[in-house]
Amino acid sequence: MAREMAMLHDVARCSACRACMVACKQWHDLPADMSTPFKGQYQSHADLTPTTWNLIKMNERTDMGGKFHWDFIKFQCMHCEKPACMLGCPENAISKKESGAVVIDEDKCVGCGYCRTNCPFNVPRIDPERNKSTKCDLCFDRIEHGMIPSCAKTCTAEAISFGTKAAMIKLAEERLKEVRMNHPNAQLYGVHPNGVGGTHMMYVLPEPPEVYGLPKDPKTPESIDLWKDYIRPIGKIAGVGAAAGLAGLMVLNKLIGKRGA
Amino acid sequence: MLIDNRYVPRHKKMFMLCHWLNAISFLMLFLTALPLYADTFLFIYNIFGAKTLQYLHRFFAVIFIVTPIIGLLSAREGYGTLFKQAFSFNSDDLIFLLKFPLTLFGMHPSMPKQSFYNGGEKINILLQAFLWLVLVVSGLIMWVGNGVIDNSIRAWMIPIHSIAAGLGFAAALAHIYLAIVQNPQSLRGMTDGSIHADYAVHHHGAWVDELIKKGVVTKKEIDAARKAA
Repeated sequence: MAREMAMLHDVARCSACRACMVACKQWHDLPADMSTPFKGQYQSHADLTPTTWNLIKMNERTDMGGKFHWDFIKFQCMHCEKPACMLGCPENAISKKESGAVVIDEDKCVGCGYCRTNCPFNVPRIDPERNKSTKCDLCFDRIEHGMIPSCAKTCTAEAISFGTKAAMIKLAEERLKEVRMNHPNAQLYGVHPNGVGGTHMMYVLPEPPEVYGLPKDPKTPESIDLWKDYIRPIGKIAGVGAAAGLAGLMVLNKLIGKRGA
Repeated sequence: MLIDNRYVPRHKKMFMLCHWLNAISFLMLFLTALPLYADTFLFIYNIFGAKTLQYLHRFFAVIFIVTPIIGLLSAREGYGTLFKQAFSFNSDDLIFLLKFPLTLFGMHPSMPKQSFYNGGEKINILLQAFLWLVLVVSGLIMWVGNGVIDNSIRAWMIPIHSIAAGLGFAAALAHIYLAIVQNPQSLRGMTDGSIHADYAVHHHGAWVDELIKKGVVTKKEIDAARKAA
């Protein structure tokens, strides 16, 4: 599928049933993850893990008026237009497909964790056993065969939608109008170009992004360009230059030293 | 008193141990992370395994961090001299630095008398101390800073750590070349802890004068040792 695709999570429609989390584990064959002990919380896992790539976060919040809110959000890789993970990967193990899916090639990954350090959303997780970086791959294998990602497929509330980017932008605008009626602070997230060029994981948020733990102004760090375009190539040239220089110096030293003696 | 009537005592055992701990840990840190810097060295990962090398990088990082702490506790004299000397850069050091390149080509220009460390060594000490700090801080932020410090700051640690490692390695290359090829006697100073009287007078004249003044060695024995050489 050569078209640019996108996923939309309409947070106002989400009932936090977590069927999408199960569907994700099923399709990717990820084992149950018992890393978070039960302490009476509603959120299943404290955070993303190497075997939990899609997490429904359930924040409890009391607003200024003393009213209680449950803020649900589906959190996973945002599939950025300018993916910091891909740009900063020293092994070129991460690529962006035509669909917009950002995918890790495990054969090339060395588990250095630079993708996690560079990610403005702090998404990738290194599997300590296999020493490989892991994250949502937007079910790129499914979408390339005309199917939709497993999380979107299983969502009964029509909270998760998947389609061409153009269609999702249109849907997002429509949904925003609906949500605005009850939530005056509602806004779109990732739909329009931002510091990471926009994302292929888009949201209709009833409240500002900070409420859901999303950065207000995510940015692909400029440090990556400095590292990849200058430090690495210059370092390589300097390394070869230094070796040649020292060898030359050694010879010169011997020649002139002998003549002087 | 000269050792064996020839050698001027220079470095203490613990100080030398710290030097080599620093040298080995730096070199191992450089090698274990080299594949991330240049694809040419990806074969190192392929041979030893990326996971093993990444763990080793952390192991040597701990040694690299604690070495100066061990030094400040057990080699106070050596580290004291190191700091005092590094911050006492004077005009003689500058003249030495300007004429020094000639010695690289096998020439022997007349030099002002140098102290315990010469002008080049002083700059190397300052540079390595600064790079140590940069490497340790940027490295720790990448290692344990996740969740504490925002990624918009942590991302900068990758190029900063790389630049510091590159500069440190360049300085180390020059340091090793000068020690092994140019002045093998200086290497003796860091292995046996003493240097030949003749070398000491030539390369650290001001320091030898100081030793004579303090009565650690006498001018007579220095002259005798130089004549015998």
